[in-house]
Amino acid sequence: MNVAIVGVGIHPFGRFDGVTGLDLGAFAVRRALRDAGVAWTDVQFAIGGSLAGLLPGSDESVQTDQLVNVLGLSGVPFTNVHNGCATAGSALAMAAALVESGQHDLGVCVGFDRHARGHFNATPEQSGLPHWYGDLGFMVTTQFFAMKIQRYMHDFGITRDTLARVAAKNYRNGALNPNAWRQKPLSERDILESRMLNDPLTQYMLCSPDEGAAAVVVCRAEDAHRYADRPVFLRSVALRTRTFGSFEVFAPWLAVDRGHSPTVDAAAACFEQAGIAPGDVDVVQLQDSEAGAEIMHMAETGLCADGEQEAMIAAGVTDIGGAIPVNTDGGLLANGEPIGASGMRQVHEIVLQLRGDAGARQVPGGPTVGFTQVYGAPGVSCCTLLTT
Amino acid sequence: MAVVELADRGTLFTFTTQEFLPKAPYAGPEEEADFTGFLLGYVELPEQVMVETRLVAETSASVHIGMEMQLVIVPFRREPDGTEVMTYAFAPVADATGGGAR
Repeated sequence: MNVAIVGVGIHPFGRFDGVTGLDLGAFAVRRALRDAGVAWTDVQFAIGGSLAGLLPGSDESVQTDQLVNVLGLSGVPFTNVHNGCATAGSALAMAAALVESGQHDLGVCVGFDRHARGHFNATPEQSGLPHWYGDLGFMVTTQFFAMKIQRYMHDFGITRDTLARVAAKNYRNGALNPNAWRQKPLSERDILESRMLNDPLTQYMLCSPDEGAAAVVVCRAEDAHRYADRPVFLRSVALRTRTFGSFEVFAPWLAVDRGHSPTVDAAAACFEQAGIAPGDVDVVQLQDSEAGAEIMHMAETGLCADGEQEAMIAAGVTDIGGAIPVNTDGGLLANGEPIGASGMRQVHEIVLQLRGDAGARQVPGGPTVGFTQVYGAPGVSCCTLLTT
Repeated sequence: MAVVELADRGTLFTFTTQEFLPKAPYAGPEEEADFTGFLLGYVELPEQVMVETRLVAETSASVHIGMEMQLVIVPFRREPDGTEVMTYAFAPVADATGGGAR
């Protein structure tokens, strides 16, 4: 793939009064433009991702292209992307395709959202489900996360202590990230003893919806040094949806013949396209909607085999100083989940890590290969590989 | 299209608890103050399908993966005119056959 990232910007994640989603998005875009040393009028195309329109109580700024009213009416072609939990990844995939095809040389990709407090409450009809499914109390995403990790723990010997270790690690990393929502370290005991929400998941093992934005400036790889001293190259981006037999959120039924998650397909395609092996990766961002998701995604992406996580996590392999640092910015657990921005935040963090600009949370030894993965409703995953 | 009758017994594939009051569109009878939670899971009907269902059980300690489960019909809520709304659920086989669901 012939695409470089030459600018990144982020609006801190968390809760903010008196702003709109557009304000957050514009902030992130301006930061990314400044980072690349370009003006809004230099931008040949823009792609924006937001999922607010599907989620009652979330910010109304669904049409991300309204950003032109804030950033300037330059006539730029602006496309809105709305693709479940893979919204930001899909936006980046589209941006990469536009540059790769030679249609444009320089573009901006932004994701932002402001969600209502508490759990996401999509309606059953939006997922093609009958109303009774919501009546009975099944339109709660955290139930799915809990049931998937409950089975995984049973099958592969993962313990509750390991769930707590993952959460404690991500809050520890969040405390080193000035843009994170949760910047207070929590002990494994605090996490295990917090309120049980969906067994085996306690309150501090689950991420919460919140607000935030992140943006990147992309260009043709051969132009990268015009804009950046240390450009980061996008080697591949792969989006996949569920196949028969996968275990997904909002599923009234599942096939008896078990299949695999779309993450398995997206990750495999991503590594194959880039000609990079999981063992070559120096720093990783995984979807940790809850602590168990990070554990399962380690195996689904090919970073380890099922069941190896128990010993790896106890040994600190996924810590910032470990062999495979995961969620160095605190992941979703410390940053929360503004869905449209979440995947872009992952890419933002990998760019900082590969440039050596990650400050107190910098992975030592000069990482050169980074990997990101998002997963979520309605059974979608998007992965990227980035290198120096 | 053909009608396939599903088994009314199966084994518990996985489960969880719902320990906070779900937002709308949840239509259960409880309020925040009296919500005591419920269990749910997937029951595997052999060689057919796994069904997502409420579980008739008090706590997560009352069930385990692989447990034999039986279909039951239980009260869910009452309409303003007094009509009782029933729902399907699954109960551990010993409970379902030895005195019915709660």
